[in-house]
Amino acid sequence: MSKTRVATVWLDGCSGCHMSFLDLDERLLDIAPLIQLVHSPIADVKEFPENVDVALVEGAVSSDEDEEKILKIRERSKILVALGDCSVTSNVPSMRNQFEPNRMLHAIYGDGVIPLGGGPVPTLLRKSRPIHEFVNVDVYVPGCPPPADLIFDTISNLLAGQKREDAPAPKFG
Amino acid sequence: MAQTITIDPVTRIEGHAKITLTLGDDGRVSDARFHVTQVRGFEKFAEGRPFYEMPSLMARICGICPVSHLVASAKACDGLLAVKVPETGANLRRLMNLGQITQSHALSFFHLSSPDFLLGMDSDPATRNVFGLAEKFPDLALAGIRLRKYGQEIIETLGGRKIHPAWIVPGGVNDPLTVEERDRILAGLPEAKDTTRLALDLFRRTAPKFADELDSFANFPSLFMSIVGKEGELEHYDGKFRVVDSDRKIVADGVAPADYADIIGEAAEEWTYLKMPYYKPLGYPYGLYRVGPLARLNTVDKCGTPEADAALHEFRAMASGSILSSFHYHTARLIEILYALEKIEELLTQTDILNTHVRAKAAPNASHGIGVSEAPRGTLIHDYEIDDDGLITKANLIIATGHNNLAMNKGVLQVAQRFVDGKNLHEGMLNRVEAVIRCYDPCLSCSTHAAGQMPMIITLVNPDGTVADSITRG
Amino acid sequence: MPAKVITLTIDGRDVSAREDYTILDAAKEANVKIPTLCHLEGLCDVGACRLCMVEVKGIPKLLPACVTKVSEGMSVTTDSERLLHYRMTIVELMFSERNHICSVCVSNGHCELQAMAMRLGVDHMRVPYRYPTLPVDASHERFVLDHNRCILCTRCVRACDEIEGAHTWDVMGRGIDAKVITDMNEPWGKSESCTSCGKCVNVCPTGALFEKGRSVGEMVKRKAFLPYLTQMREGKK
Repeated sequence: MSKTRVATVWLDGCSGCHMSFLDLDERLLDIAPLIQLVHSPIADVKEFPENVDVALVEGAVSSDEDEEKILKIRERSKILVALGDCSVTSNVPSMRNQFEPNRMLHAIYGDGVIPLGGGPVPTLLRKSRPIHEFVNVDVYVPGCPPPADLIFDTISNLLAGQKREDAPAPKFG
Repeated sequence: MAQTITIDPVTRIEGHAKITLTLGDDGRVSDARFHVTQVRGFEKFAEGRPFYEMPSLMARICGICPVSHLVASAKACDGLLAVKVPETGANLRRLMNLGQITQSHALSFFHLSSPDFLLGMDSDPATRNVFGLAEKFPDLALAGIRLRKYGQEIIETLGGRKIHPAWIVPGGVNDPLTVEERDRILAGLPEAKDTTRLALDLFRRTAPKFADELDSFANFPSLFMSIVGKEGELEHYDGKFRVVDSDRKIVADGVAPADYADIIGEAAEEWTYLKMPYYKPLGYPYGLYRVGPLARLNTVDKCGTPEADAALHEFRAMASGSILSSFHYHTARLIEILYALEKIEELLTQTDILNTHVRAKAAPNASHGIGVSEAPRGTLIHDYEIDDDGLITKANLIIATGHNNLAMNKGVLQVAQRFVDGKNLHEGMLNRVEAVIRCYDPCLSCSTHAAGQMPMIITLVNPDGTVADSITRG
Repeated sequence: MPAKVITLTIDGRDVSAREDYTILDAAKEANVKIPTLCHLEGLCDVGACRLCMVEVKGIPKLLPACVTKVSEGMSVTTDSERLLHYRMTIVELMFSERNHICSVCVSNGHCELQAMAMRLGVDHMRVPYRYPTLPVDASHERFVLDHNRCILCTRCVRACDEIEGAHTWDVMGRGIDAKVITDMNEPWGKSESCTSCGKCVNVCPTGALFEKGRSVGEMVKRKAFLPYLTQMREGKK
């Protein structure tokens, strides 16, 4: 049996969902033989590869770079999972949406030099938004972060090729 | 027009960053910049929110060290309430913070860094990660996973969940410790200690193989800063600022958290979303200093627990002054886990840890509050002002990785000059540039409080803008 | 003169009810759980949230169970694909209309909107978020009003009017601009009619009204007092 090609991605979030994924603890070793981690912040492969079976995406879409990434991820993945409240609802990152980005940056960085995007840093979108406002999402896993058990159930069901029916009820917050 | 090399994203660090190396006409690296590519605006959108919500809101800065933000934020709120937190409440906060130091350092060492020195800097990037480690060293991977789990379980036992517990609140904590909970935490200690000793031993044996890296991994004189306890001991929850130089001479001491602005200034650059804090007396950009595990072990007089003190003694025998090579952040982290475990035991065996008076309640009595804690990656400062209704009017945050920003830039330059030769690019060499950043274990989710991952393409650009050469890594 | 008893069917079951009952009363008595948000035992019903919509045989449009009286031979369906679709949409509209950030809300884990989303299986919003800019009124000494979390159920308005008798709360503006206000849209802390009794805070289903000094997840609403107060108002039955 060939391994399932799994990628995890982190857009505008706090990495808490990735940490919750690592909270699978010993179960990480159980799923290790079944999956090939082809792209992840905890691995070393930079390019988001082709033919990804399952992409777990944490975080909201906040910058032009995030938008570019999510489009590429959708194009190259069979199943796209929105992992956690930021990717599902835009959560805390959306709290900046009432401010115009440049005014916000001025407020944060004072009157001196301000990274307004362009050049080496990405440019902020006017609003931080959930990923399904940009691309189709196959599975939603809300929570801040979703508990490890819920992530485990989601992954197990995807590996077994079923839609999840009996997983713990997902909950916002 | 110089040529540039871009490393994007920097992987196996916790966050979004890229590195640009600029090559001079001689093909040597002339400048290196570490860019943080995300900004989220916590300082701005905190404005207008009730300050009671700050600890849990600020915890969302970072999923790796949420407890440090909970602590620093709650302490700033304690200042707004102008109350004294009951001693048991303070000790319970300490306990959770130590649990987090354990899990975060274990993550950094086992899950993120050990693939480099156990599988090798030049090993296949496709397997140079925790799963590759599990394949080759299953016992070690399991031990590391269990050590992190132990730290996470302490957090869960106290606060009800492993990540973003809402248990630390202004004035203390919202739920006392029970006998069963205490005994459960105590029961896991022996195994956690064994794993830590094993890792320390392993790293001591492995480190000499990396003489080159030890030499060039951000190995330069700098100032070091942390908070220290009343007797100059290691302290992550509460203390005063101390700054030492590369000879371990104290240059500033006993600076109260509320006076942080006397010694720390903040600058901004247009090529990164991460501000550049600097040591004020030296000005910008000369006042670079380092924070974090290595800095703490350079600033303190002692750890204050027996096993950690013995390890510290051995650690310090390596140099006459401060330990300078950032490669030793790894060693420092392991010593800190040892300290954390010993301290957890000490706190849990005090009888008053079970007291039920764990929270002081009051309406706000001050309009300005500052909270400081030592996060796994270094000093964390939360500074709030509120209006008469208790709504935030101003928030300023200085995050561990921010303090290190100047130092990280210098470290990247140093290693790039040694290992990167523009005429000849190879993956392992660039990995070393990244590994320097990884040494600092930058928590970029934190750093982007104010404020990715793309293919790693290294491009050499000709003066006229045409591409001379490029390799893709993936 | 005792009320007449009539018979109707709910979800195919024969149920008897007093003729002055609403469909919701009848369903409750028959142990059929219709989702509600603005309804609260002890307050009059206004049909503000539309979650309790049901299908009644022979009537093409959906009817709100909380304000529709039962009648002889009525055939009610409380659960169907169509109803679930509408209920989910209503909840999604509530979430997307204001800024509900469950993770950092004082009511996280004790919120009726959050629980309703879970119950209906809402795991994302199919309508785009509006992200309006809304104020927080923390001028009251003991309580806070956060418009970001208000779903305009008007429970606060009704509790203040019907139980406390102060009528401090009311609704101002129309459609998407509607918002709850105290007195004549003055800061709550300046209100001359407010008795600081806290009933509005405890009937609020979300974290829109909460006690000062509550941290995230700490605001638990106490509603047990309501039926007793209603009984006192209406005399022992």
